[in-house]
Amino acid sequence: MIEIEAGGVASTVQDDGRTGHYHIGVPPSGAMDSYAHALANHLVGNEESAATIEMTYQGITATFTEDAVIAVTGANMSPTIEGEPIGTWESVAVEAGDELDMGFATSGARAYLAVAGGLDVPEVMDSRSTYTLVGIGGHEGRGLEAGDELPVGATPTERPAVGATVPDEYVPEYADEETVRVVLGMNDHRLTAESRAELCSAEWTVTPEADRVGYRLDGPDVEFEERDQPFGAGTDPSNVVDLGYPVGSIQVPQKPIVLMQDAVTGGGYATVGTVISADRERLAQRQTHDSVYFEEVDVDTALDARETRAERLDAARAAVE
Amino acid sequence: MASERITPVDLPDPRYEYGGDDHVFVDLAEEMSFTANFKAMAITQRVAERDIDGVVENCPGNASYMLRIDPDVVHPDDVIAELKDIEASIDVAEYAWESRVIDVPVLFEDPWTHETLMDFRDRHQDPDATDLEYSAELNGYDDVESFIDAFVGAPHMVTMVGFVPGLPWCFQMVPRERQLEVPKYVEPRTATPSRAVGFGGAFSVVYPVAGAGGYQLYGRTPVEVLDVDQELPAFEDSMVLPNPGDIINYRRIDRDEYDAIRDEVEAGTYEYDMADVTFSPEEFFEAPNEYNAQLLEAVA
Amino acid sequence: MSEKTTINAPMPGVFYRRPDPEDPPFVEVGDSVDVGDPVGLVEVMKNFHEIEADHAGTVAAFLVENEDEITADQPLVELE
Repeated sequence: MIEIEAGGVASTVQDDGRTGHYHIGVPPSGAMDSYAHALANHLVGNEESAATIEMTYQGITATFTEDAVIAVTGANMSPTIEGEPIGTWESVAVEAGDELDMGFATSGARAYLAVAGGLDVPEVMDSRSTYTLVGIGGHEGRGLEAGDELPVGATPTERPAVGATVPDEYVPEYADEETVRVVLGMNDHRLTAESRAELCSAEWTVTPEADRVGYRLDGPDVEFEERDQPFGAGTDPSNVVDLGYPVGSIQVPQKPIVLMQDAVTGGGYATVGTVISADRERLAQRQTHDSVYFEEVDVDTALDARETRAERLDAARAAVE
Repeated sequence: MASERITPVDLPDPRYEYGGDDHVFVDLAEEMSFTANFKAMAITQRVAERDIDGVVENCPGNASYMLRIDPDVVHPDDVIAELKDIEASIDVAEYAWESRVIDVPVLFEDPWTHETLMDFRDRHQDPDATDLEYSAELNGYDDVESFIDAFVGAPHMVTMVGFVPGLPWCFQMVPRERQLEVPKYVEPRTATPSRAVGFGGAFSVVYPVAGAGGYQLYGRTPVEVLDVDQELPAFEDSMVLPNPGDIINYRRIDRDEYDAIRDEVEAGTYEYDMADVTFSPEEFFEAPNEYNAQLLEAVA
Repeated sequence: MSEKTTINAPMPGVFYRRPDPEDPPFVEVGDSVDVGDPVGLVEVMKNFHEIEADHAGTVAAFLVENEDEITADQPLVELE
């Protein structure tokens, strides 16, 4: 059992997400940075689908009621056990009664705490991921608060030795990752030529509203071509007849919003491109006020990037010792 | 009105687009029509039947559809090739699907949405009218009463579900000349009561949960479209009630009936008035008024 | 006791000196604060979080303006 003493700003239980319900409006949820989530799980011997705690901007304070093996990955939040700093991207043994205390994120936005055995909260639609908007999954469908008690599953028999680490070359430097690649498309033809070009050249900054639903960005105004609006679309030039929004898609009510793991699944704003699957987790580590640049790529480059990312994760797993 | 028909629309060639490396988005038309929606419905139903490897989400939209794929299993171009094959083989007129008619009672001009819409007059096109007064005038109705009569005068088909879990976009089952159309708020509201019934573009919606919103607000239903705890009998199989292709019959009720139904919903005992029907686009197009009347007999 | 310390931001966001636009500020220069007293709010991810004094002292200066964008660990309030 893990007893939460302070929940931080926005800490939720997440796994690799729920699928098959997007058509009735249920987004995947799941870890925003699946690379950090997967390696945290690997370090403690869990499957990639095991549930971890995702902490945003500020970590939790929590006590372990039993001996446990844990790993903290993702954004650096200076974790300590009983006041002593512990390694991150490392498998760490804790004893019953130990207190884990984490601070604020000095690099990156989201950290992951995995516990050997995974967090054994009930599954909702085959996933333990928290989706706070309607209050499902995770711990009572909400962010963690002081007093919450999280059960831990059975410790896996085979796992890396305590002290095993992810080598530095596989640990992302979040501060450097300000460019995310996008495949333009869907309704990008609705943008003016200037705005379409500017989308992939302008400096965008992450606004304070950016969260698990969407990353709202600030920057130059984005303009759409004026037209006689089609029947059913609504009157604003940014409106289209309501359509499905891909996870990672960029919509532009006025300024761009990139939809993330708790995405709204559809609506009436023109989608003009999609952040590629390999780079969504990089965007998820951008902090409020950080810069973001979009780089246009074609779909084959996006597929190559996905493969490269998967190979890097495999190599990182293989290098853990 | 016996002679009224719905003329199928000639759709442009579909636009096959990538949503990054893991989604395929297909635009069937820029403007809304039953032809475009039924085509989206027919193709996504066929996609489900074919059980294509690597397709992980299958989402009909109002006049488009979207698939999420696992690119580790299937290349988006191979999915697009299969979709083109399906598109070529589909004849919407000959298509039919199992649907449900669902009775959705509505208290129009209810106190809760009224308070909300008055709070946000500064974000509305017409700060001096209610949303219903504005919509009635814009659509050429003499008064709110006759506008509400038109709104409940024919059922609305669920043409898409989403935004948040359980929110149905519904397109009224009447010929284009009688379709209602209203803009969304100039600037979205930061609050909307749960179960509010609204209208925007050419679509009616039911807001499953309280939250932001930009549709014109007309009333509130005492029944749920989302029940995350699945306590109501109608939610035994899914926490979401409406599915794409379902047919909603908005029925005007008074405050007493609203309160009575709401008590039953809160007690977890409310039985939805709904019935299984087979929906035939061809028969609907041929004689929509008669066909609607026939469909509604199932919940009469 | 003239040693100066600062209260730093626990998270990035937008800094507010008042609990509500119509309310007076949490603290003014010259006020004394105890550990745990709120000195401001940070808005991030559509939520507001109180910033509490992590030690006692007298407010000597505000190092950021109301509604400034702040980053984590940025000094906000100087205490003496």
